[in-house]
Amino acid sequence: MKDQSLGEFEELVLLMVAALHDEAYGVAILESLEAKLEKKVNISAIHVALKRLEEKGFVQSRFGGITQDRGGRRKKFYVITAIGKRILDHQYAIRTSIYNQIPKISFS
Amino acid sequence: MKPYPPKRALNFLRWFCREDYIEEIEGDLTELFEKEHHHDPRKAKRKFLWNVIRYLRPRFIKAFKVSSGTPKPAAMFRHNILISYRSFLRYKSSFLINLIGLSSGLACTLFIYLWVNDELQMDRFHENGDRLYQVLEHRQQADRIWTAESTPGPLAEALAADMPAVEKSLVVGRMFNTTLSMAEQNVRADGKFVGKEFLTMFSFKLLQGDKNTALDGKTGIVITEALAQRLFGTTENVMGKMVDLNHETQFIVTGILQNVPARSSQQFEFLLPIEKFMEDRPGLLSWGNTGPYTYLLLKPGTDVQAFNQQIADYIKRKTEGNVTYRTPFIVHYPSLYLYGKYESGVQSGGRITYVKLFSIIAIFIVVIACINFMNLSTARASRRLKEVGIKKAVGAGRRSLVYQHLSEAILLSFLSLVIALGLVVVFLPQFNYITSKQLSLELDLSFILALVSATALTGMLAGSYPALYLSGFNPSAILKGKFSSAAGEVWARKGLVVFQFALSVIFIVSVVVVYKQIEFIQSKSLGYNKENIIYFEREGRTGNADNLDSFLAGVRNIPGVTGASTTQHDMTGHNSGTSGVEWEGKDPDNKTEFENITVGYDMMEILGIDVTQGRAFSRNYPADTARIIFNEAAIAFMGLKDPVGKVVKLWGETMEIVGVARNFNFESLHETIRPVFFRLKPNATYLIMAKLEAGNEKEALARLGSFYEKYNPGFTFDYRFLDAEYQAQYAAEQRVASLSRYFACLAILISCLGLFGLAAFTAERRQKEIGIRKALGAGELGIVFLLSGEFTRIVFVAIVIALPASYLLSSYWLQNFAYRITLEWWYFLFAGFMALAVAALTVATQAVKAASRNPTQTLKTD
Repeated sequence: MKDQSLGEFEELVLLMVAALHDEAYGVAILESLEAKLEKKVNISAIHVALKRLEEKGFVQSRFGGITQDRGGRRKKFYVITAIGKRILDHQYAIRTSIYNQIPKISFS
Repeated sequence: MKPYPPKRALNFLRWFCREDYIEEIEGDLTELFEKEHHHDPRKAKRKFLWNVIRYLRPRFIKAFKVSSGTPKPAAMFRHNILISYRSFLRYKSSFLINLIGLSSGLACTLFIYLWVNDELQMDRFHENGDRLYQVLEHRQQADRIWTAESTPGPLAEALAADMPAVEKSLVVGRMFNTTLSMAEQNVRADGKFVGKEFLTMFSFKLLQGDKNTALDGKTGIVITEALAQRLFGTTENVMGKMVDLNHETQFIVTGILQNVPARSSQQFEFLLPIEKFMEDRPGLLSWGNTGPYTYLLLKPGTDVQAFNQQIADYIKRKTEGNVTYRTPFIVHYPSLYLYGKYESGVQSGGRITYVKLFSIIAIFIVVIACINFMNLSTARASRRLKEVGIKKAVGAGRRSLVYQHLSEAILLSFLSLVIALGLVVVFLPQFNYITSKQLSLELDLSFILALVSATALTGMLAGSYPALYLSGFNPSAILKGKFSSAAGEVWARKGLVVFQFALSVIFIVSVVVVYKQIEFIQSKSLGYNKENIIYFEREGRTGNADNLDSFLAGVRNIPGVTGASTTQHDMTGHNSGTSGVEWEGKDPDNKTEFENITVGYDMMEILGIDVTQGRAFSRNYPADTARIIFNEAAIAFMGLKDPVGKVVKLWGETMEIVGVARNFNFESLHETIRPVFFRLKPNATYLIMAKLEAGNEKEALARLGSFYEKYNPGFTFDYRFLDAEYQAQYAAEQRVASLSRYFACLAILISCLGLFGLAAFTAERRQKEIGIRKALGAGELGIVFLLSGEFTRIVFVAIVIALPASYLLSSYWLQNFAYRITLEWWYFLFAGFMALAVAALTVATQAVKAASRNPTQTLKTD
């Protein structure tokens, strides 16, 4: 694994893949993210992130079955891999530890 | 109805997007579009387009080359080779048929390539080649324009002086054969008298000596290495030595030439300065006479047409208007070898005709071999259909299947090339013998490149149709076994067989016609008897007028010699002509040349020329030296009635006609018989002809030889047979005859191989049918007829198509001859019958095999 880094948007997409578990595909991820972030996201950005994550080995993909919807095109479902989970945990641990270092000063 | 995303945007996406991503991306985009469409169809469309555009980034765009999903080319190539190898092993007969057909076809093409290339290279080695020109003359005759190479002796020098475009000019005498001697060593060699610019204008390589001065003066001789070896036994320290010419004149060796290359149309062993020659023959300096050849080196950029216009009346000007019928013109010297034939003053081919002819034959033979490959591959397609079907089912694209079959064909053609090269090496000496060339297989880069590309092209040609045909099937239909060849394919296959056999029939007819014409030439009664006649040059003592009679008497006394005389004409072609015959009522503008045959006593009797009116020359009439004999053609041409006793003028002298000779062919049979006169002047002859008794020529020759060498010491007895020299006139035709025989055999062989393969295949496919027929009581003979009938019909159609074509071709070729065979109907019948018989035999062997099989065996399987 050459590139262990994870961009901010990639991290969000990876989180969403993990969160949606077995139901994560392009449009679902897009809609969930838009709902969470409360802003518009372009589908191509999601696809770029997914492809990068797959290359880095953080997610795996498989095709779903053919349906009448989507012009007969199959959905591509993504699941998080063990490495993906580990890097999320790692990211989370770093952030939490840094967060915990914030002095207990009242900001109010 | 479901909303459908904008078509153009979608097609655009499909066009640029990677194949492995398109499914996901198109699906997601369509889903978004469908959702948006509920709210606002127009916005949905706009958004869809925008989204598509957003994918235009390197990550999603198709790779320019092979997409990562297909296997590596090298691996595919290995796979293809393996599959080809297995299919070769499995279908040995068709593999062998293809291999034999293609390799013999390629070998034949290689031979023709070597020959054609050599012909095209003739005379092309001269460094100044693009500026070298030869002067020819058109001579207006009463019945035709005669184009001659001989020119007036002073022409070269005069043109160099008068025409600023001429850089150098050269006069060259005719080739002659003579005795050279050094001490006791006598050697016969061919050589010529040449102007001093010979070595600077032509690029014959001088090994020793200076090419600028070697032929200056009157005493130098330039010899080739080989001649130096024969004369001196070495090429060292030869310069400056004395050589005797004809035991009369001495020359000093001033140069040693590399042996004249085979690719030169001028072949000689020694060169002498022409100055001495001209000095001895003042007649050559007259503008009215012609003899030597003239060559020019023009300055760069000279306009040849304008030059020809300027010299068109040159002879007329030089003779002050006396000679008006001769028009000199120049032609590019290196091209003259291939384009040397003139008819009615117009260039009309030459050797180039045969070069073209053989090139076409080569292409046809390869095409025939390729047709075999196409036919067998498509016919056997059903056997490989399962393979194709499975490959398609697991996702092989059409393109990769086409590659597979093309590479199989190309592999086969390269295997054939290896065998063909082997064949060429083995048969090259034989081929050289037939074509009288010195060809060799030189593998230089350009040749190898041409070879490889030609072979690849052959492979592509042979493999293209099967490849496209096989890869075009619908896999589900094949795997279900629903395959049957469409009527069109069967027609195509039959058409190809028809084409093959039509070509074969044309080849056979040409072989028969050429053979018959050659036989006709050899057996045609020429009007004189050429059998058992030898001739040799008068030289040394025999050249001396005082000794001639005693020598001839000695020769006549030799047992086995029935007659001997002298002549100035070798009876095989135009020797010398003159327009100096005048008769009563002659049109002064008529410059038709009469052939001049100057003879000694008895010459006409020895040659067996009939005298139809009057008598031949005789010792009983001493005044015969002032008498003349014409042939019938001359009498007819002059329009004389009761010619004997009439008077004509020859070069101003009065001659009485004493006899009329029956027409005889003294030129090759390409020409009609022209007017001839005989005159009696034994001293003006240079050949001795002797007739030998049939049956013991050998003994007579031995005795003649020893008599000659005793009488004429220092000279070797070098004789030629008249009939052999006669045959030599038709060397080109003989060559065509033997080559076309080989090519026809090859074409038939390859065609039959193909037919054999097809018949074997049909018999195999129909074996169940045959089994059922036999079970129902059909006889073997009936089944053989059933199987052969179809092919016989095809070949029959081929014959019907080929016969008119071959008729046209052979009559075209025969037009080259003034005396020719008439095309008999049986030639065509014979060719057709041959083709039909060979084809029927080929098919019948297969049919008999199929028919004699036990039906229980054929019906049991499957």
